[in-house]
Amino acid sequence: MKAQRIFLILAIISFSQIANAQLQKAEFQASGLTCSMCSNAINKALKTVPFIETVNTDLNKNVFEVIFKKNVPVDFDAIRKKVEDAGFSIAKLWVIADLHNQKINNDEHVSIDGLNFHFMNVKSQTLNGSQRFQLIDKNYVSAKEFKKCSAYTTMPCYQTGTMSNCCKSKDGAVASGNRIYHVTI
Amino acid sequence: MKRTISCMILLCISAFLHAQELYVSTEPASNMATGSIGVRLNSKLFQMKYNNSYLLRIDPEIMFGLSKKVMIHVNAYASNMYQQSLKFEGAGIYGKYRFLSIDDVHSHFRMSAFGKVSVIDNPTSLYANNQYYGGNEIDLDGNNSGFLSGVVATQLLHKLALSSSVAYTNRFKNINEDKEPGQSSQAINYTLSAGYLLLPVEYKNYNQTNVNLYCELIGSSSIDSKGYYFDIAPAVQFIFNSIARLDLLYRVQFAGTMERLSNNYFLLRIEYNFLNIFKLR
Repeated sequence: MKAQRIFLILAIISFSQIANAQLQKAEFQASGLTCSMCSNAINKALKTVPFIETVNTDLNKNVFEVIFKKNVPVDFDAIRKKVEDAGFSIAKLWVIADLHNQKINNDEHVSIDGLNFHFMNVKSQTLNGSQRFQLIDKNYVSAKEFKKCSAYTTMPCYQTGTMSNCCKSKDGAVASGNRIYHVTI
Repeated sequence: MKRTISCMILLCISAFLHAQELYVSTEPASNMATGSIGVRLNSKLFQMKYNNSYLLRIDPEIMFGLSKKVMIHVNAYASNMYQQSLKFEGAGIYGKYRFLSIDDVHSHFRMSAFGKVSVIDNPTSLYANNQYYGGNEIDLDGNNSGFLSGVVATQLLHKLALSSSVAYTNRFKNINEDKEPGQSSQAINYTLSAGYLLLPVEYKNYNQTNVNLYCELIGSSSIDSKGYYFDIAPAVQFIFNSIARLDLLYRVQFAGTMERLSNNYFLLRIEYNFLNIFKLR
């Protein structure tokens, strides 16, 4: 009975960790613009994204902070698409997450808040507390930077942004075609 | 007159210091935000060569951002340039396709192809003082039916924005009146533009009024050997709440041999943008 109660409490705690328990916000610098009217096009477009709660802008540096809603799945590609549809590009994007005993290994993938992440150019470590990592996929960094980061892995998933035979899970299954975000600290 | 034009040229040179690309006389290679609609009211006061009086053309315009690469403008024209009262003259449609975009922090290089078609009901020239005025200038913004097609390139480099375009234009028959034999039917148009961000010195929020200064050079050469002109167009622009715009421009010929209806005009434009209005897919 006591064990069942403990199990129930643990189950409730672990369920509360789903979707956005860890991913808190993103910060990105937009490129291709200087004026506030251009920034406003990005600002207003971001406010239509369902998983974004708040948008804050540094108009001089063209840096946008987007704070995620709780319990709504995040999609970084949706952020990038809004910026590109407004007529601009992302120069750099950082993900800010609150992690609890998150083990990461270099050149391996993990799941955080239901999203697949592939950590590159990192030391194996356990992450705790507020962490900031940079998304280094194509179109989230400059072409030059993307080419440089390509040296950090031989896995083809970095070139395509989707999982393939290189991304096998522990039981050998391959979630082919799923989006995988490549990040570094 | 020469001193005024020299001052304008100096202003243009100083415009290379801090720049913006919301040019007043021309369109940059950049596009509007996808799914946005802009509405403009353009009003031009032309000083007519035949009697030096000022006559008015108004030109309401609606702009659509169809995708990050494509935008369309639709214009309607009305003026009292050919008769006593304001008369509806016709309409035009303009499209722009951005085919190259290289972005970096506070900079970009972009190129677009553009085209315009106008259908206008006006005389092809104006007879006064025993002579014809305006027969050789091809102006698709209310005077002539026709089409134009060209390419524009814009370079934004933090404190410097330069834009240049070249276009081919050909006139059709105006509704109810064709051009006289001997009038020019084709021309090459070219532009060189620069902008200067005067205020704010540092951004604090979206609601600050932006003040931009522009200087544009606009030229046209008749392919039928009917002359050429070079105009200079300094302008001041106010951006309100990062959503609305007010432009004030004066454009004047500083060199040329082409026979025109007018060598100079004042423009007042008000514009408001509606963002995230529609989705195409």
